[in-house]
Amino acid sequence: MEHLLESLGRNMFAIFGLLALAGALFMVASKRAVHSVLGFLFAMLCVAGCYISLDAQFLGVAQILVYAGGIVVLFLFVVMLVELTKYKERDIFQNQSRLAIVAVLAGVGAFAAVFRRAFFGAASSDALVLRPELAKGLDVARQNAQAVSRGLFADYLLPFEILSVILLVALVGAVVLAKTERV
Amino acid sequence: MPPMTLLQTIVMGLIQIVAVLIVVFIMVPLLTFAERKVIGYAQVRLGATRTASGRKGFTASMNRGMWAMGKVPVLSFFRGLPVFIADAVKLITKEDIIPAKADRAVFTLAPILSVVAAFGVFAAIAYYPGVMFYMPKNWPLIGGLPFNGAIADVNVGLLFILGLASVGVYGIVLGAWASNSKYPLLGGLRSAAQIVSYEVPLTLSLLPAVILAGTLNFKNMSVILATGQGMSPLAVIPLFIGFFVYLTCGFAETNRVPFDLPEAETELVAGFHTEYSGMKFGFFYLAEYANMIVVSCLATAFFFGGYYLLPFGLQRIIPASVPFLGQPSFLFFMAKVSLILFAFIWVRATLPRYRYDQLMEVGWKYLIPLTLVNLFIAAVIRYAF
Repeated sequence: MEHLLESLGRNMFAIFGLLALAGALFMVASKRAVHSVLGFLFAMLCVAGCYISLDAQFLGVAQILVYAGGIVVLFLFVVMLVELTKYKERDIFQNQSRLAIVAVLAGVGAFAAVFRRAFFGAASSDALVLRPELAKGLDVARQNAQAVSRGLFADYLLPFEILSVILLVALVGAVVLAKTERV
Repeated sequence: MPPMTLLQTIVMGLIQIVAVLIVVFIMVPLLTFAERKVIGYAQVRLGATRTASGRKGFTASMNRGMWAMGKVPVLSFFRGLPVFIADAVKLITKEDIIPAKADRAVFTLAPILSVVAAFGVFAAIAYYPGVMFYMPKNWPLIGGLPFNGAIADVNVGLLFILGLASVGVYGIVLGAWASNSKYPLLGGLRSAAQIVSYEVPLTLSLLPAVILAGTLNFKNMSVILATGQGMSPLAVIPLFIGFFVYLTCGFAETNRVPFDLPEAETELVAGFHTEYSGMKFGFFYLAEYANMIVVSCLATAFFFGGYYLLPFGLQRIIPASVPFLGQPSFLFFMAKVSLILFAFIWVRATLPRYRYDQLMEVGWKYLIPLTLVNLFIAAVIRYAF
């Protein structure tokens, strides 16, 4: 019993990862948009589970708070408002399967290039930290929030700010698109 | 003591979960009874005074006798209490109707999501700092193990609670959509907009407490905010403002009067649960009351002094050597939770419902700026004093 539980605990990451993949598959395959959103929600919750199984509790909970609690709700809101019949949904959302397969393959290729080292080569023993002196004396497993904030606001401040600018651009773009449509 | 094995951890966790569930399942029917009574007295009525048991029986004859003497049956104050058993039996045995054109799977999933989100939150709430008692030594497997005041001592407990609570909105939105009916859909859309809007000031109103305590752990936050270790006396100001903003947003999050627009019966029949019956409706009902208890627990722990007698760091006045009053106690926690639950019912009996545009105006134009200013004050106090 004890042995079984222990192996279960060790493989939690794989279990949640597979569940997340199943949720993503359901999202792609389901015919109704609301079911797709549900699959997406499930995948997001499982990704949060992955984070928590890696002792990154802050990240996992933030994942639930931001994605499951905020972004997917807005998706659902829009899907419910649009309220398409089954036939129309298939016409709009699922008529680009060839293009989608090409895009997915390209994405897989890109990720494979990134993860090649991790899968086949020797990974570096330490995480990439630009200013290690800031992380000194920090118990990362117990002080998740502090570790993340140091990463964001000290080590990777510039990428973080650039990312927020990209989000701002997306926001402005959305507003522009919505405005021009109405005229 | 040797470290607990995984099996022991899981068994103790299950025991604690069952204990918390029992307390909540006792509190919810008591709360419905209290609601009948308090609203009754607020409207100069008596509230529930009897359990209809036909013309025979002890209760019935007592009541008849008192009325015949021209007196209000004072003894029957608690005689309306057994109604909750009838309520529960009714909800469980009632026919479970699924509308013909509803999306069956989602229609079933919605109340489940609501209840899971509402009850999952109780895992991270600490009812007592540290160990409440130890299991008896002679019990197999779990003998001598500590029974903690919290099911799980999560180091980002507050975020965990906010995250799970924000998942609760799916129950309402999906239930509304799956009913495939006009009024539930309108109610669900309103509710989604309302809950997503009020989540922002709710979270922001808790941030001053986080800044002043310097941790996200539920238990540590509660203890620090009550005893005021390293906190300036000025910290009372942001906490006091935060408490009222939090309570306001809590009312909105739990869909209670004066923010119960999702189920405004004059406009939307019953809002998102119009098409629900039987235990599926019961789950929504249960989730609403469980959410009320959660909001009360959070308000108690962060703004009301939690397990200590005095809030806002005033506990410093009483030295820890004083028996009972100077010590943390489960009783203080429950008493304060009850007090805030009473406020929930009190407000319901007092205030009329907001109009929809007023609701949004209060949320976005007043509460969010107020919380931002409050956050600034808290940061200044933390930094400068």
